[in-house]
Amino acid sequence: MDWLQLAWLIPVAPFIAFLLIALMPRRTLGWEDGCGYAIAGAGTAFALSMLVIWEVVNGNTLTIGAPRFTWLVIGDTTVTFGLWIDSLTALMLLVVSIVGTLVVIYSAGYMHHEGPTRRRYYAEIMLFISVMYGLVLADNYLEMFIFWELVGLCSYLLIGFWYDRPTAASAAKRAFIVTRVGDIMFMAGIVILLKYVGNLDFATLFEGGATAVIPDNMLTLSTALIFGGAIGKSAQFPLHEWLPDAMEGPTTVSALIHAATMVKAGVYLVARTYPLLIQSPESLLFVAIIGGVTAIVAASCALAANDIKRVLAYSTISQLGYMILGLGAGGYLVIELNNPGGYAAATFHLMNHAFFKALLFLCAGSVIHAVGTNDMRLMGGLRKTMKITSTTMLIGALAIAGVPPLSGFWSKDEVLAAVWHAGEFDWTFTVLWVLGIVTAFMTAFYMFRMWFMTFAGEQRSEFHAHESPKVMTVPLMILAGLAIVSGFALFIGDGFKAFMSGAVEGLVPGFHHEPVADVAIEIFTDPLTYVSLALAAAGILLAYRMYYMPGFDRSVFARGVPGTVQKALENRWYISKFYDDFAYKVWYGFSLVADLFDRYVIDGIVNGFSYLAVRGGSTMRKGQSGNVQRYTSLIVIGIIALLLFVLYIVPWGGW
Amino acid sequence: MIPIEYWLMFSSLLLAIGAYGVLTRKNAIVVLMCIEIMLNAANINLVAFSSYYSTLHPAFGTDASGQVFALFSIAIAAAEVAVGLAILLSVYRRYQTIDVDKINILRW
Repeated sequence: MDWLQLAWLIPVAPFIAFLLIALMPRRTLGWEDGCGYAIAGAGTAFALSMLVIWEVVNGNTLTIGAPRFTWLVIGDTTVTFGLWIDSLTALMLLVVSIVGTLVVIYSAGYMHHEGPTRRRYYAEIMLFISVMYGLVLADNYLEMFIFWELVGLCSYLLIGFWYDRPTAASAAKRAFIVTRVGDIMFMAGIVILLKYVGNLDFATLFEGGATAVIPDNMLTLSTALIFGGAIGKSAQFPLHEWLPDAMEGPTTVSALIHAATMVKAGVYLVARTYPLLIQSPESLLFVAIIGGVTAIVAASCALAANDIKRVLAYSTISQLGYMILGLGAGGYLVIELNNPGGYAAATFHLMNHAFFKALLFLCAGSVIHAVGTNDMRLMGGLRKTMKITSTTMLIGALAIAGVPPLSGFWSKDEVLAAVWHAGEFDWTFTVLWVLGIVTAFMTAFYMFRMWFMTFAGEQRSEFHAHESPKVMTVPLMILAGLAIVSGFALFIGDGFKAFMSGAVEGLVPGFHHEPVADVAIEIFTDPLTYVSLALAAAGILLAYRMYYMPGFDRSVFARGVPGTVQKALENRWYISKFYDDFAYKVWYGFSLVADLFDRYVIDGIVNGFSYLAVRGGSTMRKGQSGNVQRYTSLIVIGIIALLLFVLYIVPWGGW
Repeated sequence: MIPIEYWLMFSSLLLAIGAYGVLTRKNAIVVLMCIEIMLNAANINLVAFSSYYSTLHPAFGTDASGQVFALFSIAIAAAEVAVGLAILLSVYRRYQTIDVDKINILRW
């Protein structure tokens, strides 16, 4: 049986669950107000995804030439709907299905105390999972854009789940508006493609020569604008400030949407657009620079954050920056060396990060569930009471810090190696590599700072912590297992690189897959590997010294240059403040002018018209004298004028 | 046969006289009479064209529909006069006048 033909059922199953939870009477929802339906929907999609992934692993894909049906015909432009399934789609399906299902199961425990509002939660999260599957299965840019907007909507709804809290309501609005900036750029980018190619199908655009009709500078502009969509959705610098605020939503939402899936949509978009991107080295360089800058800016903000979820949010942004950097650098490797290594590394990091970051978020959720606060300064000593959570979180932290043999080590190392090799072709990449390696050090430091502050030492405030129920800890253990083993995908079969190169096969003709053993040898003989390992170890040790061993005087960060840096970090480099000031001062001033313009000019025109009508009416009604003979004479004069017009003026004018 | 232009001149004259009367006279009964004159100008046109029909369209023979219409028109005029006089009677009962300059409350 060809399971690829049934891939369209993957988004349908969660959507049916969404409809049932949203529309059925409450008493029919059963366990946990709809959690049963949600698990059934997510589980069905998971099972179907696994079958589809199995097909892809066996070399079946649904790309150019796949059946698609016509949706709209506008002039010469035909918009179709269809499925596009290749290695990249399979990778995203894997991430969305595993994390989605585990998060829904975990929610049964985490959302238990929410009461009847859980129904809204499960409905929204099912809608999100459904449209996320739609996004990764889309076979043209318009279809993708529609689902892109829908995941944005679900993100907005779920960030604002506790809409009665002002901070959550404003965070939801902020996330929605900031990502909208990126979405407009995305739309502008695909409009350029539509203008020149007249078609948005991947099948048409990615075929060799289809883009030859686009002038070079327009192609650069278009790809850069499409990447602009990724800047918004994947929270890249300078549009990254919405993601830390998005932590106002439930932690499960943060784990699913703002760590594992939706924010990956931007990375997915860049990876999907690869055939276009590598025709434009300027765009690739832009992509890489944004990624590198994001990685270090976000990592530095995480150093000083005290909210456990914000640390993870900044960490997510930073790791997304890694992926974007890897894709940018990987493009140069494709152009210059015919080697999809960077592409594979970035997508590999995407998968590994989804697992260990979802794990970290769910652990944080477990901690918050037990302690009742997000502030790490009020935690401490939880290792004794929350054994499973602290162990799984330690695994997650080791994975993200890049300690072998956990997953983060392999992919982070591959990304940095790709950036280093791209440095041979453009010196900018060498600078970006330095940023990346510093980020790796920071990552190790802030992750262990978080772990030590949360789980080690003495309890710093009044709470009665307890381990979370099984329904929460089992997903944690599964994700911890994945965080350990997913890195070995590099060595399964022909290796991950060979698998991913299937998605960009047409771009790298004649690429020879290296034997898997060579990959391992390459990693462990490269001195750069040991540089990053040493930095990760240094980061962990520094965190150990500062936050675990007693007697460290933290007052040096209170004054002088370290104090200024500390303050800047706590204020997120003032970027958020800059946006607020910009919005308040500049935009508020502009709004004032617009308000005055509206009140006096626009309203003036409208009121003027109504005044004219009123005065005109009161003047003209005097003509209604009531005198029949005056009316009659006007009729006679009118008829005579009409006759004269028809008999003399019309023939004279030649009509 | 009298040329059709004569008939048309005559009916135009009647129409003009009637219209002048409608526009200038104060007495509503005279106005009503003038309207009758205008109506009859139209009737004369109908009859005149009808009797000239076979001359104007030799192929179609004679046609009396213009004359029939004139008869209809006369009947309708009679009905109209009945209604008009009844209205004037009511107006006179209420205002003790049928001067059209005075009957001008239907305004603004």
